[in-house]
Amino acid sequence: MNTKTDTQLTVTEIQRFCMHDGPGIRTTVFLKGCPLRCAWCHNPETQKRERELLFYSNKCIGCGQCVKICLNDAHSFNGNHTLDREKCTACGDCAKSCCSAALEICGKQYTIANLLYVLEKDRAFYGDTGGITLSGGEPFAQGCSAVTLLQACKETGLSTAIETSGYFDPSLLEAAVQYTDLFLWDIKDTDDSRHIRYTGVTNIKILNNLKLASDLGAKIRLRCILVNGVNTDREHYRNISDIANSLSKCEGVELLPYHAFGGTKAVFLGLADNGKKEWIPTEQQLGTAKNILHSYGIKVL
Amino acid sequence: MIFYAPNGQRRPIRLSQETRQFAYDSLNRKYGLETQKTPAVALDDTKNFETLTPIEKYDLAISKIAREAPVRVCRGELISGAATLGSAIHHSVPATYRSEAIYTGVSHLTIDFETVLRHGVGYIRGSAEQSLKKHLGSEREPFLRSCLNCLDAFEVWHRRYLSALENIPDYERNYKNLQRVPFEPASNFYEAVQSIWFTFAFVRLCGNWPGIGRIDWLLGDFLKKDLRDGNLTLDEAREILAHFFIKGCEWICGESSFGNGSGDAQHYQNILLGGIDENGIDVTNEVTYLVLDILEELGIGDFPTTVRLNSQTDEKLLRRVSEVMRYGGGILAVYNEELIIQALLKDGYNLSEARKFANDGCWEVQIPGKTYFTYIPFDSLQILQRQTLDSYKNSIDYSDFEALYSRYVNDLKKKIEAILHDKQRLFTESGVNTAVWKWKPQIPCTVVSLFEQGCIEKGVSYFEGGPVYNICSPHIGGLADTVNSLYTIKKLVFDERRLTLREFLKVLKNNWDGEEALRMYVINHYSFYGNDSDEADLLAARLLNDFADICNGIDGKCGYRFPAGVSTFGRQLEWAPDRLASPHGKKAGDILAANCSPTPGSDREGATAIIRSYCKADLSRLATGSALDVKLLPASVSGEDGLQSLISLMRGFVKLGGFFMQPDVVDAQILREAQEHPENYQTLSVRVSGWNARFVTLSREWQNMVIEQNEH
Ligand code: SF4
Ligand code: SF4
Repeated sequence: MNTKTDTQLTVTEIQRFCMHDGPGIRTTVFLKGCPLRCAWCHNPETQKRERELLFYSNKCIGCGQCVKICLNDAHSFNGNHTLDREKCTACGDCAKSCCSAALEICGKQYTIANLLYVLEKDRAFYGDTGGITLSGGEPFAQGCSAVTLLQACKETGLSTAIETSGYFDPSLLEAAVQYTDLFLWDIKDTDDSRHIRYTGVTNIKILNNLKLASDLGAKIRLRCILVNGVNTDREHYRNISDIANSLSKCEGVELLPYHAFGGTKAVFLGLADNGKKEWIPTEQQLGTAKNILHSYGIKVL
Repeated sequence: MIFYAPNGQRRPIRLSQETRQFAYDSLNRKYGLETQKTPAVALDDTKNFETLTPIEKYDLAISKIAREAPVRVCRGELISGAATLGSAIHHSVPATYRSEAIYTGVSHLTIDFETVLRHGVGYIRGSAEQSLKKHLGSEREPFLRSCLNCLDAFEVWHRRYLSALENIPDYERNYKNLQRVPFEPASNFYEAVQSIWFTFAFVRLCGNWPGIGRIDWLLGDFLKKDLRDGNLTLDEAREILAHFFIKGCEWICGESSFGNGSGDAQHYQNILLGGIDENGIDVTNEVTYLVLDILEELGIGDFPTTVRLNSQTDEKLLRRVSEVMRYGGGILAVYNEELIIQALLKDGYNLSEARKFANDGCWEVQIPGKTYFTYIPFDSLQILQRQTLDSYKNSIDYSDFEALYSRYVNDLKKKIEAILHDKQRLFTESGVNTAVWKWKPQIPCTVVSLFEQGCIEKGVSYFEGGPVYNICSPHIGGLADTVNSLYTIKKLVFDERRLTLREFLKVLKNNWDGEEALRMYVINHYSFYGNDSDEADLLAARLLNDFADICNGIDGKCGYRFPAGVSTFGRQLEWAPDRLASPHGKKAGDILAANCSPTPGSDREGATAIIRSYCKADLSRLATGSALDVKLLPASVSGEDGLQSLISLMRGFVKLGGFFMQPDVVDAQILREAQEHPENYQTLSVRVSGWNARFVTLSREWQNMVIEQNEH
């Protein structure tokens, strides 16, 4: 048996028919775990490396089955349905027995063989442009396993892309570049003190990795989130342009205006809604960013 | 003067200001409302009307229509002729006797424009005269005389336009063209467009709704020659062709054509583009692109247009199709011609004939100008509920799934045989299974018969077996729901044994009352048709295969072919009140799946999974077609990535062996509905700055924002 295809990964979701995670039609695999803690995180369920229980209270019909099933008495009914996350070990028993899918385990284990089976399904639609995208979380938080998946995809002729925060062990890069057709590389902020404040980590490692990836010949698209009042300054746009211009194979820059959709997901995890409307950039700010990038000869995708 | 685009984008401008104004007026009901003012001609003053034969009455009507229908010449029109009697909009021959319409019109056919263009209507007259000579004194004589009478009427109407145009300035070209066409063969592009239009307008004026067929194939050579000889520029050609489309909107009047709320732009005037000709050569030409330009600029939805794709389809064409498709409104759909040609071969057509396929003016495939077509829709779900499961009476039981399934297929067979039987009773003199049969006389329909090959030669009308091919296609409806129902019973009762069949039927009989947990279990834990999971999909494939076996097993002693098809059109609304609760978690009266689409709310994996589920069946065994609707949000197909995705979606559809797909880029209206009924819009994805979110998973506030974004 091929040991490689036994490799396990922790997956929060596999989404087919993704049209904006790289070119063409793609299947995106969201991997669990991330070293960053962005204040504006859109996928909070991918932050922790461990399995978690999601509770969609709007779907619950109050049948009481989960109360009976849970050995840790995490569920209770007094007026309404409450879930005591302190007691929950994310064993998943209640999720299996919940008729209305109001409970869901986030972070299932997949072997590479199982993943390939799913990724194969849309091969007819990938064509010359599409393929698979690894996302997260930070896919490289799962180390060599993520690289092995990329390799396995390439070996079966699937085109690969990876969405990364850039914050990972540089020793992974050489192999990663070899098996990745396109890097969608996040630049959250070019100002390091703000970076630390809003994401919990320094951007030095990220920028060093980026340079290394570029030196290794990686094809890169920069993805820059715009958060009103945080990184919507001209200085930042100029820095982005400089970085883009310094790369050997840069496809261009995608500007991603902040939105608050992640907020609802946080609630399913039992966290406070982290969505902040004041963070949404204005059309004008977006325009300014575009203009500045253009003036430096950067293609805005 | 804005031509609305459901995706909120601005449409490009290529046409002249006058042409755009003409389009704007036409789309805004100017001519439709005018047409309604003169609904029909009256035959009340005809002596002894009641004693006339049906065909004599018909001929009188057509001749009076030709003499009395208002002649309309619109300001600045580049081609002339107009169907100006209001009853025609509602599918009647616009002639009344004592205020009653005398006959209904004919639809679901594409007439023989090829002969009109290449040989002229004069040639058709010659054939009719010859055929009359041959059949003098026989029972076919009255029909052939009717042909000549209707051609006379056509000439009368034609002369009225000539004299109207003769003396007004600025219409010299219209006049000059009409001096030749449609009675003589067209000699250039401009004449050809006028020829098709004038013939189409006359047939419509007489109450019929024909389709157009392969317009680029019909017109391509004319344009090629004109461009080569320098007689016409592309811009001029686009302008002329645009007037064809604009005039085709002259029936828009804000009133549903059938009075059932299904819209005022539904006259089955479909168009096909692209694909190969009878020799296997790609027909795509400048006209193909001009049509796409016009659809893009004016957003005219009255000529639903389907592009014939194959695995070799040029990237340039697909790109252009995607660009136009992205504006939304569902105007453009696609056929996979490789599979369709294969289906037609299996159905007994020869190769060069199969390659000529067009449709009936809707999406059902047929050979244009040679085919009588009708389809008989039926609800497969009610057969399961009311026959196989005997309306959930407790006397019903099956030992295992196979026993239930084979009984169901048997019930299906009985239904289809009943359809056949009814058809034969209606259309033939002798009973079932008789080698000697004869068509029963039907209501007159001479005008369309003129343009259907076979009718004149045989001396037999369109309704009476005249055309070369006669098709009666049983169309199975409720496919996804039947499959999901069967699948649920299999899982719940026979595999998991959660309850007995009798217990389950009792739950259904009580419309799931008090069984919400079980209902939720079924809805949430089973992977239904449309999610690319084999268990349900292969059941769909098996059912369609058995259905095709039943239809293909019928020998056409009555002269009909019985190819199978799948459709509901809008019937899922009409059937809802008659449907009982369904095993797959649906309650009595729920509105269920359309055409080949999944049960609303049951698909969770997105468009590619739906297409894969649909393509697992051997669709080449269903020769009149199977339609799949795919809804996409404007934002998800925007930008270069979005365009590439749309192209890839269509390529994948062809590669996997689909038949017909209508990708619809939906607007804010749909989003609002999705907000009210999230359960029905599970897969609707929306682009939010660099990624797709599933719309129904967004909070209300954010949904509203996305709606606003889509509401330009
Ligand atoms: S996941 Fe396990 S521990 Fe957590 S609530 Fe459910 S049953 Fe209890
Ligand atoms: S099992 Fe599911 S539906 Fe039942 S009470 Fe628990 S969460 Fe709610």
